[in-house]
Amino acid sequence: MLWIALYPPALSLQAFAATLGTAQHALPLALLDAQRIRAVNRVAWQLGVKPGLKRATAQALAPQLLFGQADAARDAQALRALAHAALAFTPSVTLDGAGARGNAALPFSLTPSGGGPRAARPWGHAQALPCVLLEVQASLRYFGGFPALLQRLQAAPAPLGLRVRMASAPTALGAALLARWRAGFEQGAHSRELPALQRQLDAAPLALLDAARAQAEALTGMGLHTLGDLRRLPRDGLARRCGEALLDELDRARGDRADPREWLTPAPTFKARLELFERTDSTAPLLQAAAVLLARLVAWAGAQHARIGGFVLAMRHEGRHRSEAPASEQTELTIALAEASNDAKHLQTLLHERLERLVLPAPTLELRLRCDQLVHRAAPNGELFPTPASAQEGLLRLIERLQARLGSQRVCRPLRVQDHRPERATAWQPALEAVSRSAAAGAGDVLTRPVWLLSDAQALGERASHPLLDGRPLQLLAGPERIETGWWDGAPAARDYFIAQAHDSALVWIYRARLPLSSAAGEGWFLQGRFG
Amino acid sequence: MDLLPPTLRSAAPESLHPALWRAHQLARPRTAVLGSGFAALDAELPGGGWPRQTLSELLLPHPGVGEMRLLAPALAGIAAAGSSIMLFDPPAPLCAWALAQMGVDAQSLIVVHGRDGAQGARHLLPSADLLWALEQALKSGQVGAVLAWLPARLRADALRRLQLAAQAHDGPAFLLRDIDVRLKPSPAPLRLALHSAGIDTLSVRVLKRRGPALAQPLHLALTPVLSPVLRARAEATRTLAQARHGVLPRQAAPSFD
Repeated sequence: MLWIALYPPALSLQAFAATLGTAQHALPLALLDAQRIRAVNRVAWQLGVKPGLKRATAQALAPQLLFGQADAARDAQALRALAHAALAFTPSVTLDGAGARGNAALPFSLTPSGGGPRAARPWGHAQALPCVLLEVQASLRYFGGFPALLQRLQAAPAPLGLRVRMASAPTALGAALLARWRAGFEQGAHSRELPALQRQLDAAPLALLDAARAQAEALTGMGLHTLGDLRRLPRDGLARRCGEALLDELDRARGDRADPREWLTPAPTFKARLELFERTDSTAPLLQAAAVLLARLVAWAGAQHARIGGFVLAMRHEGRHRSEAPASEQTELTIALAEASNDAKHLQTLLHERLERLVLPAPTLELRLRCDQLVHRAAPNGELFPTPASAQEGLLRLIERLQARLGSQRVCRPLRVQDHRPERATAWQPALEAVSRSAAAGAGDVLTRPVWLLSDAQALGERASHPLLDGRPLQLLAGPERIETGWWDGAPAARDYFIAQAHDSALVWIYRARLPLSSAAGEGWFLQGRFG
Repeated sequence: MDLLPPTLRSAAPESLHPALWRAHQLARPRTAVLGSGFAALDAELPGGGWPRQTLSELLLPHPGVGEMRLLAPALAGIAAAGSSIMLFDPPAPLCAWALAQMGVDAQSLIVVHGRDGAQGARHLLPSADLLWALEQALKSGQVGAVLAWLPARLRADALRRLQLAAQAHDGPAFLLRDIDVRLKPSPAPLRLALHSAGIDTLSVRVLKRRGPALAQPLHLALTPVLSPVLRARAEATRTLAQARHGVLPRQAAPSFD
């Protein structure tokens, strides 16, 4: 067994940063939990704001500090996205630490990493910070060896806006402990052999163990600081004083006891929501926030090795009046893809085109993304050189983009229909719909129909029963061709068609409506088309 | 000249570099051209056909002078090769049967309308959406041929943008515009003015090309609408009438034979 732990040290902060606009990323940020600072970003840290301070103290240190509220549900969503990203590499993925049992309401805590138990005391919850564990022994060969896999894993969380610390070990808990231990541990955190892991763990601080944190004071009082100190004590005495849990955790980390885990499976429907930090009227911040959701969506689809066939983005708006229920106004944007895709960039482009022309009734407070259309077919092969298939796909993407902006009715294909009335002989269908069979036609020596057909025949003037176009008489060259009846669909026709020559010698197609059937359209001469 | 190697000293400039040509010669495009299907026209176009990767402007007094029949042979070749043809804001609905008679399969056509929905009406200003869509189609390089009906009032920078976008487009790109803009400058390297010159005949005047100016318009015989018998009769009637009255006569509707 080879386990890799992905540990996002600043999960809460980065999940919060995802709700902000670009301009706010450079500001000092701080997460508040019950009026105390729980996490700060680097800028705030340099200003002297430290976790544990009261809100007022922090504000005095850095007046421009941006406060966010800690939100366990938001953190849980970000963590789930990270787990989905990991599922693309191995089916054996599990969560460790707070939130591991799927309980989103569990409080997340931030233990200052590397700090002693005393410093961690006010913030040290019973459970450690969450991390994602992957069992990768079976995947090593597929991804081209351990270093290549590590490299890919390192890059995977970047689109989700998360930074992770990685560690690998032969036991699940061992990997989790190594990852949580300290930063800047790129070399040492990877131990493939059990004895090496045990040696490393001997030097690890006691505060890493859940059970030890609960009785940190007593253990430090006894002069125990590392796992090695603990291991050298007699087991039965330790079990009597500190409980079985401590020994159990130690044994599982060292590989002396079995550590069964429950594998994670992605939900069949993707649902994610993102509450924006500021209500927004414009498209750019919406797109930016949606990009985070889309990255999570792509991770979810990647976890199932499927591609996305469509998704729904719902924007919840601010109510116009205070009395209105907050969920009263909502705009839903459904994006259906012609060709299922797993390309976050492509999805963003489509969304961008749609959002650009959407008029939102009110400022947006929250985004929700829903998707249950997955396509479980193998992805088409990538091509180095253009082939007909890749050109076809490029065309589909182009049409999709055009339709996303213009609407599907504005991008269409003509279709030949067997009908003798010229205005019904050509049908139009949206360009991406399944191609219906066009009626067969053969190329002729002589054109019998004009290329340009006016949708509404244009009434022509008449002088001495002779048709006029633009005030000049038309010279009839051929005809009449009689086109008649259509009683079955309520559009009867009774017309005599002529080919005529206009004064500039261009050819036009005109007809004379015959009495009495065509009384609705009036009588006289009409221009039907032009031979372009 | 002394710095040049002796083999090049006497060489003609056109043999030095493809971008060089003498003023009385036609330019040679860097990419292969697409035969127009009219030998007389091919002889006057640089490279011997419709240029690829650039815009070609066709200026016409009104839609329906024979512009589609002029383009049909080239479009038929593109459609037969399995590429698609995109039409932006055509002036009127197309008749799929007429296209089929000209050899262009309707399946390969994609018609894009701007947001204004120009159904027959000539609008004055281009819709921003349509220009955007046109640029996207040109840039994507996935479309076999592009035909766009653009209004007369078009900003010069919009045309330049299109010309730049067309460089990624591996096929002909035709802009069909009103004849009134022939005096305005355009970045398109090929500009033709089309007029109807009699039954099933199109007069093509080359306004601009990479090569010497062409004084005489070309007369091209298009796919006929009239059978030879009818055509001969129509021409006979006209000559007779002109000889007799000097104006178009009042004339009874000819019978169908």
